[in-house]
Amino acid sequence: MFPFLRRPLLRPLTCAALALALALACGATACREPRSDTPSDARATHVPRDDWGNPVLAGTTRVPARIVSLNPASTEILFALGAGSRLVGRTHWDVWPPQAVAVPDLGPGLRPNVEAVLAAHPDLVVLYASEDNRAAAARLSAAGIHVIALRFDRISGFDSATTLLGRAVGLSDAARVITDSVRRTLAHVRASTDSLSRRTVFWHVWDAPLITIGAGSFLDDLVRIAGGRNVYGDLQPASPVVSLEDVARRDPDVILAGPEGAARIRSDPAWRAVRAVQRDDVLVVDTTLVGRPSVRLGEAAVSLARLLHPGWSP
Amino acid sequence: MVSRRTPVLAAAALLALAALTLAAVAWGSVHIPVRALAAAVAGHGDPTTVAIVRTLRLPRVTLALLVGAALGMSGGALQATLRNALAEPYLLGVSGGAAVGAVLATVAGLRGPFMLPLAAFGGAVVAIVAALLVSRAAGGRADPRVLLMAGVIIGAFANAAIMLVLAGAPADTVRGAVWWMMGSVAGADWRGVAAMGAYLAVGGALLLVWAREIDILALGVEPAAALGVDVERSARRVYLVSALLAAATVAAAGLVGFVGLIVPHLVRGAGVRRHRALLGGAAVAGAALVVGADLIARVARPPMDLPLGAVTAVLGVPFFLVQLRRLR
Repeated sequence: MFPFLRRPLLRPLTCAALALALALACGATACREPRSDTPSDARATHVPRDDWGNPVLAGTTRVPARIVSLNPASTEILFALGAGSRLVGRTHWDVWPPQAVAVPDLGPGLRPNVEAVLAAHPDLVVLYASEDNRAAAARLSAAGIHVIALRFDRISGFDSATTLLGRAVGLSDAARVITDSVRRTLAHVRASTDSLSRRTVFWHVWDAPLITIGAGSFLDDLVRIAGGRNVYGDLQPASPVVSLEDVARRDPDVILAGPEGAARIRSDPAWRAVRAVQRDDVLVVDTTLVGRPSVRLGEAAVSLARLLHPGWSP
Repeated sequence: MVSRRTPVLAAAALLALAALTLAAVAWGSVHIPVRALAAAVAGHGDPTTVAIVRTLRLPRVTLALLVGAALGMSGGALQATLRNALAEPYLLGVSGGAAVGAVLATVAGLRGPFMLPLAAFGGAVVAIVAALLVSRAAGGRADPRVLLMAGVIIGAFANAAIMLVLAGAPADTVRGAVWWMMGSVAGADWRGVAAMGAYLAVGGALLLVWAREIDILALGVEPAAALGVDVERSARRVYLVSALLAAATVAAAGLVGFVGLIVPHLVRGAGVRRHRALLGGAAVAGAALVVGADLIARVARPPMDLPLGAVTAVLGVPFFLVQLRRLR
């Protein structure tokens, strides 16, 4: 009677839709999960907490000697703190500073391979505070390992993350030096570009689908500090999908893109609809420098300010 | 058999298509009053508006038209030849093969406007040839069921391959691949339009020329053979051309689901039986569906484009359900 019910179920379109629905459903339920319990005694003594609300133990009495860092930003911070030699594991994508490459690659940072992490015998695991990592974090905690979950989405998150990591590995002084230096550089860039005219910026993250940065991204902060204005600062998500037609309508002064993206923008006829592309105001960003909200934030702000304001110097 | 109301329906469909096309060029992030439209198309007026209309919207709407027409014709021809109401352009492993090609290209970093369509088309052709070879090896001479099964199996294999490749890919690549699988004409340019136009011109013309044979094939293997048609040869070349048409649409716009499945049913529901009229009607209705769906995809949730394949399915399903009720 309804022959269409016998259609093959496993076609890509169906799979894509299912995957999307599943992801949405998981995200929705995970959001409603209760936060971790907050022991009242811990709150009384103002124990610092990670981004899941779990207390971060001070590393002064029992210094962690074997650390697994499952996020490129935390790996950078740990190296900057001087704890790089204690790292016994990283993700596949943690390749800065160059010494990080020598640390064993344990695979992905989202839904990490718990067996591989346990096999590294860590006493501290740092991971990204994503709902994808809840299950892995619970297993590691159950194995008696101290887990710190950090969100590296905004510039403000960098300060607290560095302070927490410094505390956890017993290097709080080094953490203070790093956060002070980054904060000072950012403040200087912000102040010295403040009087310059604000150029409007379209930040090209990915094409097909065309992805840019929204208010939820640290890059939005970085553009503002460097004296620019993100044309999609009104959209909340960190990486919203937009249409090229709308980019043309918002008519940004400049386009920022990585080297490959810039080459594609210059060669693709469709991009000619955007006036900044017609004027060849396509600026190439050093994506390895500005790609993550970490110890090189100050450097990233300086390089961005130089791009946006020719002739500017720190 | 062409009923008396067919010419009226054809005129109405063409008129609706023209109106939709006009609306699709006028509406979007920037709304252009119809009287200013001709000026913008000719290159006069606000430069941003002119750039949007000439370099983005015109190629995009044209590509939507061509893709819709090709999917409609391909579906109409396949349903008749395979004598299966569920047959559709993506069935013979086309979507799976194209997706494998596109995903491999994306993972390898070949995301340019040139390489990805080429990889998708290559993947689709490999899958089509594989399905034909499997059905031949299985001895399914003129039995369309064997070919259908071969296509389904190849599609399932392709899906497994995609899952394996994407399991280890970075998040951006996965997002890009999933979006590609949901279809889009957002990346349209005149070069892509020209390629799609050439495929549709040749493939569409061949199917129309073979329309008489398709009428006979639709009767079944034995009646067709009795009427002197070389069933195997005729069927095979109709499959091949229909599948290549679908492969061209996949290369141009990714996977735009459901159009090739429902559009022929809609046309048949309007009383059209002969395949020359049915294929023509399916081209017009398919074009209207995709142009309309893309318009909705653009204006429903600005500044974002909704995935085209999802919109065509959401739009198409109610029509299809009404059609099913009538069949009972």
